[in-house]
This record gives sequence, structure tokens and C-alpha cells, in this order.
Amino acid sequence: MRFPPIAVALVAFSLGLALFLSAPRPAQAFGDIGAFDPRVLLTGNQTAAARATAPARWSWELVQRTSAPARLRPTLLRADDPAIVDAPFLYWSGDAEVAALTGAELTGLRRFFALGGVLLVDDAAPGARGEPSAFARSARREIARALPDTIPVALGVDHVVFRTFYLLRRAEGRVEGPPSLDAIVRGGQAQVLFSEHDLGGALARGASGTWEQPVTPGGDLQRERAIRLAVNIAMYVLCSNYKDDQVHAPFLMRRRALSSP
Amino acid sequence: MLSTHLGPSGDLAPWAVWLALVLTVASFAMLLVEMRRRERGGTAIALSGLCAVLALLAAVVRPARVSARESVVGARVVVLADTSRSMALEPPDGPRWQSRDRAIEALARASTSARLTVLGFGEGAPQPLPMTLNDRAAEQRTTRAAHSDLGTALRELAASSEERPAAVVVVSDGRLDDPPDEASEASLKALGDAVHVDTVATTRDAPPDASVRRVSAAGAAVAHVPLPLRVEVGCAGGVTCDDVTVTARELRDDGPPALLASGIAHVKDGKAALDLTITLERAGARIVEVAIQPPPGDTIPENDRRLMTFDVARERVRVLHVAGRPTNDVRALRQWLKSDASVDVVAFFILRTPTDDVRATQNELALIPFPVDELFTEHLPSFDAIVLQDFDAQPYGLEKYLPNVERYVRGGGGLVMVGGQNSFVAGGYAGTPLASVLPVELDGAPGATSADTSPFVPDWTLEGRAAPLLSLLRDVVGDELPLMPGANVLGDVRPGGVALWSHPTRTTKRGAKMPVLAVGEAGDGRTIAMGVDGAWELEFSALGARTAGRGHGALWDGLLGWLMRDPRFEPAQIEVAGGCTAGLPSVVRARLLPAAPEGKPESVVLDVTRIDKSQAPVHIEAARTDQATSVELALPPLEPGAYTARLQVAGGGATRHDFACEAGGDEWADSRPDPKRLEALAAATGGSFVYAGEAGSLPLPRPTIVSAERHVTPVAPPWTWTLAAALLLGVHWFARRRSGLS
Repeated sequence: MRFPPIAVALVAFSLGLALFLSAPRPAQAFGDIGAFDPRVLLTGNQTAAARATAPARWSWELVQRTSAPARLRPTLLRADDPAIVDAPFLYWSGDAEVAALTGAELTGLRRFFALGGVLLVDDAAPGARGEPSAFARSARREIARALPDTIPVALGVDHVVFRTFYLLRRAEGRVEGPPSLDAIVRGGQAQVLFSEHDLGGALARGASGTWEQPVTPGGDLQRERAIRLAVNIAMYVLCSNYKDDQVHAPFLMRRRALSSP
Repeated sequence: MLSTHLGPSGDLAPWAVWLALVLTVASFAMLLVEMRRRERGGTAIALSGLCAVLALLAAVVRPARVSARESVVGARVVVLADTSRSMALEPPDGPRWQSRDRAIEALARASTSARLTVLGFGEGAPQPLPMTLNDRAAEQRTTRAAHSDLGTALRELAASSEERPAAVVVVSDGRLDDPPDEASEASLKALGDAVHVDTVATTRDAPPDASVRRVSAAGAAVAHVPLPLRVEVGCAGGVTCDDVTVTARELRDDGPPALLASGIAHVKDGKAALDLTITLERAGARIVEVAIQPPPGDTIPENDRRLMTFDVARERVRVLHVAGRPTNDVRALRQWLKSDASVDVVAFFILRTPTDDVRATQNELALIPFPVDELFTEHLPSFDAIVLQDFDAQPYGLEKYLPNVERYVRGGGGLVMVGGQNSFVAGGYAGTPLASVLPVELDGAPGATSADTSPFVPDWTLEGRAAPLLSLLRDVVGDELPLMPGANVLGDVRPGGVALWSHPTRTTKRGAKMPVLAVGEAGDGRTIAMGVDGAWELEFSALGARTAGRGHGALWDGLLGWLMRDPRFEPAQIEVAGGCTAGLPSVVRARLLPAAPEGKPESVVLDVTRIDKSQAPVHIEAARTDQATSVELALPPLEPGAYTARLQVAGGGATRHDFACEAGGDEWADSRPDPKRLEALAAATGGSFVYAGEAGSLPLPRPTIVSAERHVTPVAPPWTWTLAAALLLGVHWFARRRSGLS
């Protein structure tokens, strides 16, 4: 007995559909509450990040390159917003001097830091050699008010932030800037990272799919390294010093030796 | 008995009476010497002089008639009878307890003029023995003490407010814990406390026996750390020993005993010592069997093995933290684990999936391969707990090692599965061996939903509110919990498991509220299922800000502490009061946390299961009365072996206690009697030593006479004695003059 081809196709389709429907359904993500969220911190008169498209691109790059989930539509919030304590990361960028933080803004930041939150201060207008802009200087001044008795220190290439995902030799952004990042370290954790490389400038990408800012002097290779630094910072936020664990040490030392010029 | 006799006047001190007597005798003696100078009339002088001094003596002592009711009181003699387990040994010439009882009966017969008090010694203060001795029915009661502590018994006797004994008689086999074998003569003498101690040895000869006499550990047992053991082996009673095989095995309820070490003991002069090194991988109470291969002719097989309970501590808690992807929840847990110096964390996070485009060469990445093979085979036993957080078993080849994880848990390991989009059903765990040890069921049926993505706030269950492991969290956040972004769909709680948080709207197949956080036991291990990935919001949220983020640490302090059997997080503390002796009933004593005020009566359920072999469990139920903080549960006689007692109060989490039951324990380990020690004790305290057959010949103290209703009546008024003395002195003076004396 022969079955008509259409009947065979229908049976096969039905079986396939049944198998598809009968398999346990994969879990939907539990929202994106626990994902990396480069929340844009706004203070004073700020209404957006200096590089408005950079946070979303940062999340996108993170999702493409790593297993980490990230919010593709990062949130904006003001320093005095009670929601400042709702997640462990804030991204503060600017290209102009920021006004002195109000008492409420200082209180919000202090509550955030008290819980162990991490803040990246990204100078969007550094000099070609990474000379700090008015934003960078004023941001450091205000952070010093929020965290008195602390002082930024330079994080060398041996710090875990340079190997949380990629092995990096230095910090770079839209501009080459200084090779290191400055940071305020509290309780063994870099809680405030200062970038004078316009990291957001290297990440910013318009709706048309073109990069918004040219990267100097290294061009696309430098942009790639800047993106890698951004990925590493996100991984540092999510995994803290995981790559400092002893189990990773022999592997990373061998790779550093192999990739040395 | 009424008696009457003459005596001196009651107002005279005894020394005065004696002085008067001496002076009387001296006066008469001097008179006799003086009489050599007389000229005549010697008899008259002597008679009158004797009468005169006697009259003077009577004038001084003034004789009185003393009548009294007197009784003879036997001296108090305390017989201390050995009631330790060694008295139940039955060497060829009969049980030691029979010999002991016969000796006591012989003492009772021989001591008609003494008051015998028979007490038993063993543990602590001496206790009265039943009057019916030499009786099989009384045997169990008089041979159950786990120690032979004569020293404490003698000290308690000396400190007692009761009448001080005139003598103490010890009836024992001489195998004593205190005084020890090497006790000095001075320390033995001090035990007597100025009372002489007579000793009666029940047994003369050692039975034919080879045994594990003693097992001692050099220091405390720590998980994963080698522990040196010294095993002392002995042969006596004519058993020929040469090389004896010794083994040390851990008795486990997840499989056959695990051989830890073995060796050969070379016996010389009837004894040998062997050093073994064992390593216990799991913390908590662990039962180790140390056994010998007995030579032919051994008559006491019970002491060929000892069951040692080691309370294995952790130097550090070693945790394997595996996360399927980095998230805020992973961050929070890692930071908590790393913040605790007592936790040694080995972490592996999946940072890149096969579909991720890293745009870099391998050498530009700080990624290392996930060593799933090594971790879940050779290194698995070295961890105290495993945390699988949002981790999918399938892509990383963990599936084939899930049976190992199941064995690891049943063997005493801890497992936490933390929720996320790759956990539980979505992680492919349903229907796997690992799922069988989780405290909740996983529904892997076709079409089953693996997650509910609607946000919710978990509800506290009644058990969750009462659970000690969440008490720290409740101290911080009270009833409040943060909004969770969603939940893994979990099934019903398995028997023995407890739901601590539940979903406010979802229900299980059986209609119960879906558990969100549940704990349970599997074999020797414990597991936790947390079907959410939002615990980090106890740190970062408005609630977290109000509580300084302490809620997250408090939650994990309790969870990991409970997993590691930290007593702070146990709902009860249990022990076998006085230890367990095979064949005898014992008592499990449980100290409970305070009950909820005005709550319903709570059930207390005890299940005792055999560890080293399959046997029907003992199930005991009781009700907790009001606010009682302790409960005693009677256990029936158990066979020799290793046991686990699990106690559940009001259906909450179970508290586990492992214990061993031995037929003789320390008391049977060395079956040789030690009459020399009894002899030394008697010699040091001035007492006598005999064997049981000669107990009736022991010299016991003489009785004391006690007078009552004493009446003293003068024989004559005092002046009559004085008058008689004056007259007789006058007669004597006249006789002297007549005889030529002055």
C-alpha cells in the first residue's frame, strides 16, 4: 500500500509539531533584572550620557561576545533617585564640568557605595593624551565629597580588570590616554573607576550602524581594544575578582607569556 | 538491755578518778615500806592503813550506782559493687556478676555484727543496688555502667553527709578506669580518706581472648586532613597471637564500608601497638570501625571490633561554585563566599558559550577550559558543598557526571541549586540522578513549564518562619522579601523536605503552593533548592538599602550553615544519654528550640536507621508538651552497629545524629581481670584483699555499744564517806602509836 506524498508530509509535520510541543519548554529569562545594566547616572543639569548610544552598544557587545546577559535598553537615573540602590553598577560620563552635587545626590551615591556598588566615571572630552577635561576634574571633586578620606590610585595592567575576559595590556578608549585606569578601592574592590579615554566615544554607534566618533590614533584596532576594556569592566562588575582565583593563574601566566611581543 | 554498775560521782573528771586511785595505791605502798621500822602489831597497822586509804578514796570518788539501757550497734560497712559492663563478661568459670553477688552474700552472712550497705559503682556517685542479687533478672541493671569509676564513688562516699562508714569493701574484677593502673600508693591511700578499704576480686584468670584494647587518635578529626590512630591489640588467656591484621573502615549509609587503612600488628608478650593513618572526607559525626582478624580460640568476639565515633570538624568549608553565566545574583553570592575567611571557594563561571563571538584568538582571552571531568570525578569528594547556580548540565558535559553528584550527596555532601533560566527543569536536570536528591520534584514531562516569568514576592511558609536557618534573615528583614523577577517551576516537596518560601499564586500538581526555597536530606547529605535568581535584591534594592544589604549575607549564612550542619541552625540538638549499649534500652535526649507561644502541640518524630546494614528502622513519635525545651525518647535494645537518628519537630527540618552501639565498649576491650590493682588499693589504705571465694573471711570492724536512759544514784551521802575516812584515819593513828611508829 502506498500513501500519497501529501499524507506522508502531513504525518511528518504532525509528528514534528507534537515533538516540538511535547519537549519541556525552555525557561524564559526571568526578565532582565539580574542582567548587566550600564545605568546612566545623571547629576545637576545632565539629561543624558555624553555618548547617549554608548551604554546600549556596551550591552550589545557584552551579549554578543560573552555569556553575560545585559540590558539592551539601559536605564537613566538621577543620583537622588531612590532607585540608585536597585543595581550594582552606574555609568557617569560627561564632557563639561558638573555642578556640585546636592545633599540628596550625595546621599544617594553614598547609599549606593555603602552596598558595594561600582561606578565608572568616563571622561568624554579628554585631551589627545588623556589630559582630564573639566568633567573629569569636577567629577573627581564630587566623588571626593561623596567618599571623603579616599584617594584614587592607578590600576596597573596586573589588576584583575585587565583580565576579567580579555587579556589587555593597557586601557584605551576613543583616545589612547594613560595606560592605566584610576580607581578608588574600598574593601579590596575598585568601587569607582576613572577612565580618561572616552570609553563611551569608542562604543557610541548610531542608528544607521556607523560609529559616531573616530578613534585616535589607533583606528579600528584601538576601538576593538576599547570595546574589550568595556567588556572587561562589565565582567568585573558581574564577577568581581573571579579571575584572581588561583585556579586561573597558571593559564593566564602562560598566555601572557605567549602573547608578549 | 538494762545494765547496772558502780561508778564514781558524775561530777568527777576521769583523770581525777585515776589520780585518786594512783595516790591510794602509792599511800598504801609507802605504809608497807614504813612498817619495817615497827616494833610490833604489823597486821593491825596494815589493815587499819588499808581501810583508811580506801575510805579516803571513797570520800573523793563518792561511789554511785549507775543504771543504763545499752545496745550494741554494728559498724557501718559500705560494700561498693562493680556494676560496669565488664561484670557481664562470661569467662569459662562463670559470669563475673555471679561471682560478685556470691561474694556480697558471703559478706552479709559473715557480718552479723555489722551494718552492710551495698552500693553499686560505675559512673558517678554510687547507687543502691537491688536487694535481690545473684539473679538473672537483676543482671541487666547491675552490669550496664559504661565505666568502672571507683575513684569517684569513693570520693562521693567521703563527701556524703550520711554516717561515715567504718570500712569500705570493694567487690570488683579490678579492671578500673579510676584509680588508673599506674596510680601511686599515695593517691590510692588518699582515696581511702582515713577509712580502710578491703577489696574482693571476683575473677582470678583472664579468659582466652584477643581484642582491640584501645584506639586513640592524635588530635581532633578534621575533614580531608590525615588523622593518625594508635591501635592497641592484646591477647590473653592462652590465645596464641603472632601477627594480627587490623583494619579501619568508615561505616557509611550510602554503600558498603569504606576501607580507610589496614596493617599488621606484631604481638609480643600479649600486646601490640599499630599506627594507622585515616582520612575522613566528610565533616560531622562519622563512625569508624577498627577491627582485628581474631586468632583461633578467641572466646569473646564482641571485642574484636570497636566502633569509634569521630566528630569531624572542618578547617575551612570548601565550596565548589559553578555558575552558568555571570549575573548580579552570581556576583552577590561570589562576594559573600569570598568575604568569609572560613570558606574556601573554588569557582567556575561560564563566561562564554559556543555561540558567542569573542572576536579574539584564544591567547587574547582570559578564559580557561571548564574542567568538568576533573571536578566531578577526582576532586568531587574534596568539596563540602557544591553550588550550581543558573547552570545548564547539557552543553558542558555534566550530564554524565550527575550520578557522581548524586553519590556525593548521599555520601554526605551538600548541594545547592540556585535558580535562573538554566536551572532545574530548564537545565535538563529533571529525571536525572541529581534530581532524585533535590528536596523538590522536577516535572520533566512533555509540555511541562520550566519557568514562570511573572514577578512575585515569595511567601514565608510556617516552617520557614520557624526554621533556625532563616532566623538570621528574619532578624534583618522581618517578614519582608524583595520582588523576584520570576521563578523556576518546581514540583512538590519530597518526603522529608521542607518548603521555606512558597510562590503566592502558583501551585504544584498536588495542589500545594509551589515551593520557591526548600531544603531536604538525601542519604547522608543535604540539599537546597532555591528556585529564584533574585536573592541579590536582598542587597541591592530599597529593602537592601534599609537593611544595609545584610539580608543577602544573612540568608546565605543560614543556608550554608545548615548545609554544613552548624548547630546554630539545627532545629534540635540530640544525643544518646549515657551512650548506647547493644542489647540494652537507651534514651535519646533532644534539646529543642522554644516553641511558638500558644501554638498547637508539636509532634516529635524520631527515626533510627542502621548505617552499616539494612534493617527495619525504629520509629518513635511523641508530643511536645507546652513549652518543653527537651524531650526524652526511649529506644528499644539495639544490635551492635552504627545508627543514624533523625529527629523532626512539627514536620520541620530533620536533625541528624550518628551514633554507635557496642556490646561492651571500653569495658570489654580488655577482658583481663586486674586483682593486683585491688590488692594495691587494699594495701595502701590498710585494708585486706581476698578473692571472692574467701569474702566471708574478711575482718570487719567490731560493733559499738551505745547507752541510753542512764541514771546515777549516790550509794551514800558524801558526808558519810568523809566521816568514815576520819574515823578510820583515827583508828590507824592509834594502831601506829601502839606499834611504835610515829
